Amino acid sequence: MLGKPSALFIYAIAFMIFLYGPVMLMPVFSLNDSTFATFPLKGFTTRHYASMLANTSMILSLKNSLVVGVIVSVTATAIGLPAAIALTRYRLPGGGPVLSAMMLPLVIPSIVIAVALLVIVLRFLHMNLSLWTVGAGHILLCIPFSMTVLMSRLEGFDKSLEEASRDLGENAWMTFVRVTLPLAAPGVISSLLLCFIISFDEFVVAFFLTGTENTLPVYLFSQLRFPNKLPGTLALGSAILLGSAILVVAADLLRKLGVQSAKPGDL
Amino acid sequence: MKRIQFIDRMAQGKMSRRQMLSQAGAFGVGLLSLPKLSAAAEVLTCMEWGGYDVAEYFQSYVDKHGAAPNFSIFSGEEDALAKVRAGFAADVMHPCNYSVGRFVSAKLAVEIDTSKLSNWKDIFPALQTADGVLVDGKVMMAPADWGNSSIAYRTDLVDDDFKKNESWGIFFDDKYAGKVSMLDNELLILIGAMVGGMPYDEAYKLTGAALTEAAKTWGEKGVKNSRFLWTDASELQQAMASGEVVAAYAWNDVVKNLTREGIPVTYAKPKEGYFTWFCGLTLLNTGKADPALAYDFIDAWLSPETGKTLIEGSGYGHANIKSFEAANPDDVKAMGILDPVEHMKSAILFKTPTDAVQNEQNKVWGELKALKQ
Amino acid sequence: MTSPKPRRQWPDWLAGYALLSPALLVMAATLAAPVIALFVLSFWSQTGFDIDRSFTLANYWKLIEPSSEPMVWMGIPFPFAYPVAAILMLKSLVMSLVATVVVIAMAYPMAYFLAFRVTRHKALWIILLTIPFWTSYLLRVFAWKIVLGYNGAINTGLKSLGIIEAPLEFLLYNPIAVMITLAHAWIAFTVLPIYVSLEKIDRSLLEAATDLGDSRWQRFWRVTLPLSAPGTIAAALLVFIPTVGDYVTPTLVGGPGGTMIGTLMQELFLRQDNAPLGAALAIVMMAIIAGIVALFLWAVGYSKMRERSR
Repeated sequence: MLGKPSALFIYAIAFMIFLYGPVMLMPVFSLNDSTFATFPLKGFTTRHYASMLANTSMILSLKNSLVVGVIVSVTATAIGLPAAIALTRYRLPGGGPVLSAMMLPLVIPSIVIAVALLVIVLRFLHMNLSLWTVGAGHILLCIPFSMTVLMSRLEGFDKSLEEASRDLGENAWMTFVRVTLPLAAPGVISSLLLCFIISFDEFVVAFFLTGTENTLPVYLFSQLRFPNKLPGTLALGSAILLGSAILVVAADLLRKLGVQSAKPGDL
Repeated sequence: MKRIQFIDRMAQGKMSRRQMLSQAGAFGVGLLSLPKLSAAAEVLTCMEWGGYDVAEYFQSYVDKHGAAPNFSIFSGEEDALAKVRAGFAADVMHPCNYSVGRFVSAKLAVEIDTSKLSNWKDIFPALQTADGVLVDGKVMMAPADWGNSSIAYRTDLVDDDFKKNESWGIFFDDKYAGKVSMLDNELLILIGAMVGGMPYDEAYKLTGAALTEAAKTWGEKGVKNSRFLWTDASELQQAMASGEVVAAYAWNDVVKNLTREGIPVTYAKPKEGYFTWFCGLTLLNTGKADPALAYDFIDAWLSPETGKTLIEGSGYGHANIKSFEAANPDDVKAMGILDPVEHMKSAILFKTPTDAVQNEQNKVWGELKALKQ
Repeated sequence: MTSPKPRRQWPDWLAGYALLSPALLVMAATLAAPVIALFVLSFWSQTGFDIDRSFTLANYWKLIEPSSEPMVWMGIPFPFAYPVAAILMLKSLVMSLVATVVVIAMAYPMAYFLAFRVTRHKALWIILLTIPFWTSYLLRVFAWKIVLGYNGAINTGLKSLGIIEAPLEFLLYNPIAVMITLAHAWIAFTVLPIYVSLEKIDRSLLEAATDLGDSRWQRFWRVTLPLSAPGTIAAALLVFIPTVGDYVTPTLVGGPGGTMIGTLMQELFLRQDNAPLGAALAIVMMAIIAGIVALFLWAVGYSKMRERSR
């Protein structure tokens, strides 16, 4: 990658522009002195950020979404990993049908899942709606994605590494921690990220399964009735972008300051 | 935090199995007892439009009870209705006139005892007896916020012909094809029928062959000519600000907001008439809180103080006549209202057809959009 | 989590199912009930606000009931009494198929770049890919409207360059806008699985191919592509399957003709008060998607492919 940039590198940059281009308009218009996000730009203002900070219910819904997203991504991956190991590592009678069943949430329209789960939670389980019920619904939606990513990672490796570990006297748990988990690491990270995105962005199931606490998408959808609130939400979107970018760069720097030795299988 | 420690220790294998079981058990119990705690407090639960869950709309309730009620916010009444029908325990809901009937038919709404509402006497008489406030002669909704539906248009971008002769016909005029925007609602068909000469009192209950005919003659054309069928006011406001759409079905707030930004927009008084919609508070029988709390909340919404906030803040009207005296006269004028009582009389109040007709109209509208080529 | 015991005490299938049990438990708790409810509901019927619980096939019949006067849509005749369902089904399938092809074609080179060309800061690149998706979907769709809109970025840019005089109106509210927005929305969901399947390819195989005199393209066709095919196909399905039932994107950027099958289902469940018909439609849609997916996997020889990549 040193020397003259390859065609692929140029493509990657173009790809990133496609990905970030539209999104970067959010910070632009969040600083624009107008209620409307249209060109030409009117002038610089930070008032939309002030209105964002004053909007406590929006900030609260952001917090709720973050908490639910993290719990969902960790739980779904924790459930998905052993299942993916089972389906790729063991000769299972009925493995095919089990896998198909796990992919089912993809096919069912979310409105159907949402309404059905709602009735079940309220009428049969007699539970109250809360962020917990939203989380449960999201875990269900995440499992197919988590499984796909993890299985395509695990399918590549032969069993001999794990067998060697066991032959060396490690028990199953230590084999998992020392061999399987590092091998699965890229898949695990992808699964965590995908599940977080899905939960953080999901509207239909979240709307039906939440009680009086809102997630961010539920809140944003309800705000559409009020055009004047739009710049405030753009400000929030920009703040999220900036916050996550800082987080990522900081984490990368920390990692470099920390462990220098790269283990095989590490990212 | 505890949960993370738990997972962390489990991952490190530092936890004995017994420890783990007891921890997991505690976690499970915590999970189960969590909802019960909130139920025990019996706080009022309201189903509310997002954005209306702010204390300034029900200040007297907060003053009296020291805290705001719990809110479950929604963005469409159908969604909210489905949620309550499934068993969600809400005490109060904020529907609009056209959907109250559905809450009544679903046996979820309870009659409101207006003698318990101190502000009821100041409600516009036309609203006190409007279709939707009264269902089968019983008060099923306390009207709170109202607004108009008419054509908002860019004075710099439409022809003088239209300005001299404002008409809903603009939605079916090929000259404006791709430059108008209608609300995503079956009302388009009814408006078409009105352009064709049918009075609203007949058009609102169109059904059967006449409905299909109107959908074919007017609906198809209207859908084709619309740049998009809008579902949220933000979308519409953006399009009008940029000039992409020059005329649209719009509520008062759009005109107010665009004018404030210096965009030349005016609100038409079409010859076929303009509409008034209204929303309000409905008591639900699914709630768990003391009904007295619900009455306090509804009464707070009907107060002139709330009306003042609503008029000045959003550009919508309020059901309490006194609100218009309390509000800043400039804001009232910006809504295009000179005399509120007179204004209320001259507009067409939306009516609700029977459930069967409503469903049929929904279906025809859904299919009309689906089959657009 | 098993305690230290001599290995191979558990038979393979038992150990496998033990590992599967948490996932199966979650699925049983959250998925089984909705599916059963949906299935049962589709054999009932709706009268007003009440549901008639006597068994009927009427909902399914309504979806396929023939009519002597076919409805012509886009030049294709639909000989049904209730043609909306069939028309929207076809339209949705075509739209998501095209979107899937576009997404995969765009995502694959990026995943390839990540797997083979990025040597440092790999995690950073991957997370950078997902950051735009941490802002709400609604805001991203909105951002696209700013790009494609009447006074949007493209039109303003072209105008100031003097290339056009009046804004181009065909950018927004049509199927192409839907494609672009869908592609943008789903791209992270495809890059990551494809990357994961490329990443695990044994580098020695590639070296062997080079040693045997393969050019870069030959090596790609003969080694990389076949070995990454299972992951790529899985990624394609992750996009195709859910977009068939998607309705938010078409509604927001597709203009008046943006209705898809998901919209109809939403309306049947909520606005038209006909949940049983909606349930029957959902089941038929699931069956059709499952059929297409199975046919596709069979046609490309997916199970053999998976064996080979093991």
